[in-house]
Amino acid sequence: MGESVNVQARLRAAVGAVAVIAILFQAMAVVVPEGQAVLVTRFGRPLRAATSSGLHWKLPWPIDQAVTLDMRRRIYETGHTEMLTRDKKNVIARTFVVWRIADPILFVQSLGTGSGADGKLDGLLTNAAIGTLGGHDLSALVSTNPGDLQVDQIEKELLASAQSTARQNYGVALDQVRLERIALPEENVMAVLQQMRAERRQFAAKYDAEGEREASRIRSEADLEAARIVAKGAEEEARIRGASSAQVAKIYATAHRVNPELYKFTRSLESLDRLVTSSTSLILRTDSEPFSVLQQKP
Amino acid sequence: MRRQGPPSEIRRLATPIARVVDAAWQRMHWWIALMVMLYALSGITVVRSDEIAVVQRWGRLVGATPALQEHGPGLLFAFPRPIDRVIRVQARRIAEVTITALNDQAPSQGETGYYATLDPLMQGYALTGDQNVVHTQMVARYRIRDVAEWAFYGPPSDDVVRVEVSAAMVRSLGEMGVDRVLSDGRKDLIALAARRAQAGLDAAHAGIELTSLELTRLAPPAAAAFEFEAVQSAYISADTKKKEAQAYAEMVIPQAQARANARVQAAEAETAANLAAANGDASAFAALEREYRANPAVVRERLYRDAIDRALNVAKVRWIPPPTGGRYSGLRIILSSPAAGPTRARAAEQDAEKESEEN
Repeated sequence: MGESVNVQARLRAAVGAVAVIAILFQAMAVVVPEGQAVLVTRFGRPLRAATSSGLHWKLPWPIDQAVTLDMRRRIYETGHTEMLTRDKKNVIARTFVVWRIADPILFVQSLGTGSGADGKLDGLLTNAAIGTLGGHDLSALVSTNPGDLQVDQIEKELLASAQSTARQNYGVALDQVRLERIALPEENVMAVLQQMRAERRQFAAKYDAEGEREASRIRSEADLEAARIVAKGAEEEARIRGASSAQVAKIYATAHRVNPELYKFTRSLESLDRLVTSSTSLILRTDSEPFSVLQQKP
Repeated sequence: MRRQGPPSEIRRLATPIARVVDAAWQRMHWWIALMVMLYALSGITVVRSDEIAVVQRWGRLVGATPALQEHGPGLLFAFPRPIDRVIRVQARRIAEVTITALNDQAPSQGETGYYATLDPLMQGYALTGDQNVVHTQMVARYRIRDVAEWAFYGPPSDDVVRVEVSAAMVRSLGEMGVDRVLSDGRKDLIALAARRAQAGLDAAHAGIELTSLELTRLAPPAAAAFEFEAVQSAYISADTKKKEAQAYAEMVIPQAQARANARVQAAEAETAANLAAANGDASAFAALEREYRANPAVVRERLYRDAIDRALNVAKVRWIPPPTGGRYSGLRIILSSPAAGPTRARAAEQDAEKESEEN
């Protein structure tokens, strides 16, 4: 019986201790997760910011209160803003910024815990964009000449221009400012479209002319090459015929040299064969050979 | 011996709680033990095959490096809440974002799509390096590369991918000419924009890897579409003309080669024939000469008579009587055309006969 009472007493003490510890832990412990910060206020006055993750402590309510802040990076996109470049061209730009809370106390004091940062950043970035782009030509933003482009430089200037104000006034760190869009005012786009159409028509005419020219060149070259080939063939033919004639002449000369008189005689007879054809008319006297044979006695 | 005094106020207040605890323990001690055990084991987590898990202990990430922080599929032993918190992420899943900020609705069928201008606030477009206008729509696919960075430090994934890819595309288009962009430069454009977008994501500590970037639309504005198509047609037409000319060249040159070859071959054939004939003639002449040397008069006479015979056989021969007194008087011979020939020739013969009779 006495042992049972002892167990009960120890159990009661353990349950009581656990309950007290749990209540104290709940009231005083502040768990700061990764990517978040906790701002501890004492009677409403910011006391300290717990920015490192882990277990932190505070006095129980109502003395201290913990306000959790999201320390992750966030994106803010500005509106479209029309501005003038250094070469007096109107351009519409839109930027975005990657930002995070760098000083939780200053952030809460200047902007609260809600989305008050958006409006401040919009003004800050728009102002920076107007100032920065005013110092550069339009070709620094869009150009086919790599030497003209200065987008990296412009984005660095934008970041530098807004960075210090954001940090000092709002406790906000800007990690990145980039140009999300570059456009032209509506009235300028009309001129650009007209220019594009004119340029396309010019290109079409150019392609047409180039096609004609190239086709003509190919045909002419082909004709020339063909003529050259035929001429070369004719030359070769003449050479072969010439060599052949020389060789034939040599054969005949070698043969006829043995008896030029006989050659002359046979050649005369051959000429006669060639000259006398079916259309040749010969007028002979009846007393000439071979007709005269009929009149001669044996 | 302890003196039993009156119960204190605390004891008096604690008595009902103690009774509840006692009663609960007596009736449900097994259940309570089971609940405590289940709580102790509640930190054990199953990480599925497509997941990666990280553990936060009192809010702090466990592990100094990504390799130690990230836990792959399987059982993960952790303490119960609020000590540990296990965050599971579908890190191998490919997410997709469609970026329409630089696009304008393509004209539907039946619409002319001809706008005199474009309102930059209502109609998305980008400027090329030669200050022309193009519309583009993209699809970016990404996955989580660094779970801790993505979960605890990075900006919202879809938003950061959308703005970084848009900015990268605006910049990349801004340094290329419209002709290159719309023709052979498309691949370079995508590669350049993807590289820049990834650099931006890294600078934003997004913990994201861009796996692919696709252009689902890249087109000139509707107002200039007809002219762009005309250029395309002209280009194709010019190419066709060139190909036709090349076909002509491919026909003409072999034909010329064939003609030249034919002439050369004909000359060679003729040469062979001439040489053969010359050799034959030379041999014949040599044989004749041998005979001639033995009997010159006979051979000469035979050759002469053979030639005369051949001539008389071939030609038209007109015989006339020998002249009287050494000369012809009034002899008239008419050699006419083949049509009238025989008649007139006969007339000539008759004239000659008549004259002979008179004489």
